[in-house]
Amino acid sequence: MAAPTMTIEPVRAFNGLDVLVARDEGLFVAEGLDLRIATPEPGDLRSTADGTLAHPTTSQGRLQDRGAAAMFQG
Amino acid sequence: MVVCAALVVAPESEIYTPQELAYQPVALDYGNGTGYAGLQMLEGAMPREAVTTRAAPAHSGERIAGLLRGEFAATVVQEPWITVAEKAGCRIVSATFFHGTWVADRSVTAEAYAAFVRATTRAVRRIKADKRRYVSYFIRDFPNVPEVQALRPEDFNLGRIQLKEPGPIPEHEARWAWEWMAGWGLLEGEFACDAQINRQLETEAFAAGGPTPRPPLYPDRAERDVKGTERGRLR
Repeated sequence: MAAPTMTIEPVRAFNGLDVLVARDEGLFVAEGLDLRIATPEPGDLRSTADGTLAHPTTSQGRLQDRGAAAMFQG
Repeated sequence: MVVCAALVVAPESEIYTPQELAYQPVALDYGNGTGYAGLQMLEGAMPREAVTTRAAPAHSGERIAGLLRGEFAATVVQEPWITVAEKAGCRIVSATFFHGTWVADRSVTAEAYAAFVRATTRAVRRIKADKRRYVSYFIRDFPNVPEVQALRPEDFNLGRIQLKEPGPIPEHEARWAWEWMAGWGLLEGEFACDAQINRQLETEAFAAGGPTPRPPLYPDRAERDVKGTERGRLR
């Protein structure tokens, strides 16, 4: 049976060091998960400088919104 | 993952404590966890009406550049930018830690989530066993940024690199976060645990070999009144 696939939004070390190490050291494969990290498109990137406190313009969750990722770190 | 966020000021700043940032402009990346951590650090040091913030780019390097240009009194950054800021002579006036929380859509299965938490749990154990080896990841995140590439693993304060094995989010923590955000006008409505947390999937995932869930920090009400302790109360 094929391993389940899951796609997440990109992470950096500060918020996803565990994910990056697990990917690089084959731990997702060892646990039977085909983990993929989505690549943002230009339209996914919004500057937080354009938002307000009550109406922020973060890029987090944008790939999930358009169905390109199933999880993101908030 | 546990994220460290620090409020930093410019090298020549006369500000040494977070209280001194009252009515001073602080640049935050609104909408990101680090930005909210910055807001919480300010809120803990002054009346809410004295908290003065402005929107800033999500890239910590851009915020540090603005700080050094004198565009605001302080900003909040995470690693590797805390280390970069310190090497540039900036000072930390407050620091805090917060959990990164995964937000999943309904396509995530218990099987996939269980495998995800098993793999990241193993990674957390490896990293904690040799943090110095793995801080190179913070450097390689920014291959084209000279001030990050100038860092060496020994430059990092490992006390700021913290990881915890993944586990279910306790309801009281989720409720507090919701109500805190609602208090700032970021969310509307009452917190509804069932609407925010899929406990069934979570339970199935952990039953499928995930790590042992941590016990709730808040005991039942009858057990809270421990002799010799006091709890905060609204006056």
